[in-house]
Amino acid sequence: MTPPAVIFEEVSKFYGEVLGVNRVTLNIPPGITSLVGPNGSGKTTLMNLMTGLIHPDHGRILMRGISPRDPEALMRITGYATQYDTAPRWATGFTFITTGLLLFGYSRTEAEERAWKALERLSLTDAANRKVAAYSKGMRQRVRLAQAIAHDPELLVLDEPLNGLDPLVRAETIALFRAWAGEGKHVIISSHVLQEVDLISDQVVLISNGMIVAEGSIRTVREEIEEHPSQYIVRCGGASEVASRLFNGDHITEIRLNDDGMGLMVMTRDREQFARALRDIALDGHRIDAVVPADENVDALYEYLIGGE
Amino acid sequence: MAVYKRGYRRYSGPLTGPWARFLVLPRYAWRRLYRERLVLLLTMLALVWPVMCAGFVYLTNHAELLQGLDQDFLQFIQVDGRFFSIFMYVQAGFAVFLAALAGPGLIAPDLANNALPLYFSRPLTRWTYGLARLTVLVGMLSVVTWIPGLILFAFQVGLAGGSWFAANWTLGAGMVVGFLVWVLILSLVAMASSAYVKWRAVAAAVSLAFFFILSGIGEMIDAVLRVGWGHIIDPAWAVNQVWCALLGVALPEGPGAGASAVALAAMVLLLVVVIERKLRPVEVVR
Repeated sequence: MTPPAVIFEEVSKFYGEVLGVNRVTLNIPPGITSLVGPNGSGKTTLMNLMTGLIHPDHGRILMRGISPRDPEALMRITGYATQYDTAPRWATGFTFITTGLLLFGYSRTEAEERAWKALERLSLTDAANRKVAAYSKGMRQRVRLAQAIAHDPELLVLDEPLNGLDPLVRAETIALFRAWAGEGKHVIISSHVLQEVDLISDQVVLISNGMIVAEGSIRTVREEIEEHPSQYIVRCGGASEVASRLFNGDHITEIRLNDDGMGLMVMTRDREQFARALRDIALDGHRIDAVVPADENVDALYEYLIGGE
Repeated sequence: MAVYKRGYRRYSGPLTGPWARFLVLPRYAWRRLYRERLVLLLTMLALVWPVMCAGFVYLTNHAELLQGLDQDFLQFIQVDGRFFSIFMYVQAGFAVFLAALAGPGLIAPDLANNALPLYFSRPLTRWTYGLARLTVLVGMLSVVTWIPGLILFAFQVGLAGGSWFAANWTLGAGMVVGFLVWVLILSLVAMASSAYVKWRAVAAAVSLAFFFILSGIGEMIDAVLRVGWGHIIDPAWAVNQVWCALLGVALPEGPGAGASAVALAAMVLLLVVVIERKLRPVEVVR
């Protein structure tokens, strides 16, 4: 059975004459997907389109089979956390989440049970009965996440969800994302912290100037960028000899020797040829300890695809 | 293909009905508003006049207590359309201040906190949100307008008997309809000012000023153009025309009740459009 996907077909959104997103086509499978792009690139517009807060001028969107034009159905399966402090000043963390759940139609008992569970998952039970206005930045971020997950949605859309979280809660939250993704849910996040995106994402969507620059797993996307040579760190014995052997292949564009003489940084235009050459070198008796891709990360993708613009 | 644990089950338990969900927002808002001393004080003050009017109704229905009073005066103190119109003027005044006090806190904080995306990421449409906010004000203003009015009317019916009701039921109906029109106008004005002005005090001032400014403009139109229809843009004046017609009281000079009703309907429509434009889940600043 094909898992339910988030589908954008030729979606465009303009704010008057200002471009929001242009001809976006996406097919996002379940798992953790990160939207990556510079400020004003269209990430929040994409999220607003996903949650039906705005509607496209052109194209079609399906969120796990449901159109965002049907908020009654969509919002039952969707949890959304904005990047803004949205909780009313008068509300405690507990009332804030309970009120939201009552709007979903849960009975008071059910709503209160779920609110406690959500607060517990975000380590907020101690502060549950304090006013949100008195929360720290990190706690407000957590309460925003708690309200998004309280109704146990199968599609989470989270705008900068890890901002302001301390390392421990951040790790717990990432583990939570992983657990949801493992259940076949969609977790769609936007983030500026590229190392974090690298760590948690199954897929990335790179967006710039309202257009999708790349989409897919980090590895797949990297493989498709042919104009930038792939970089590998090779730990080996006799680094200079390995380097001279490697230079026999015309796919190598650059090799840098490490100062300790025990490794190299290799840049190649053809990964497969590089792998074969390295295998031959190893078979000839050279010690190859490790080969690690150096630019198979979001940082590098961002630099190659967006950074130069 | 990825392997998922498939441990997730969508909630399939019972849900509350649409009305229960709709009333979540008003319930919380009422609880919060009635915790404010000023709102509570004004509401209580607004109920003094109905109590006094009830005393008046009691007196007029007990002729033995009025023996010895001048005959002209006795004819003057009747429970009729004029009595109910005076009752309504006073209550309408209280309603204006109550709306100005309670209204600005309804939408302005949600806009200031960017909370609308949060509301609309629930199974809640813009219209439901707007109606829920309107219900808060209509409910609060009803407590000081048509509800005490209806109780007063019932009190009079109880004392004067079925024959009085048969002859004067239109007074009760007219009073309820007249109050509802006024409550609707006040609520929409308060919501519109709350939607456009983020500071509560300023929003309260704007919703009060709305009535004075339109009244002034109406006067100016009459004076400058030497016409008699300028007042029609003054909602208080237009409502008064409608009330007079509903209660069978002589209408002041100027456009009739029909024209005033049309002007009020146009005003309601305009206010709804103004509010609708502002209640967007995402504010787009071009």
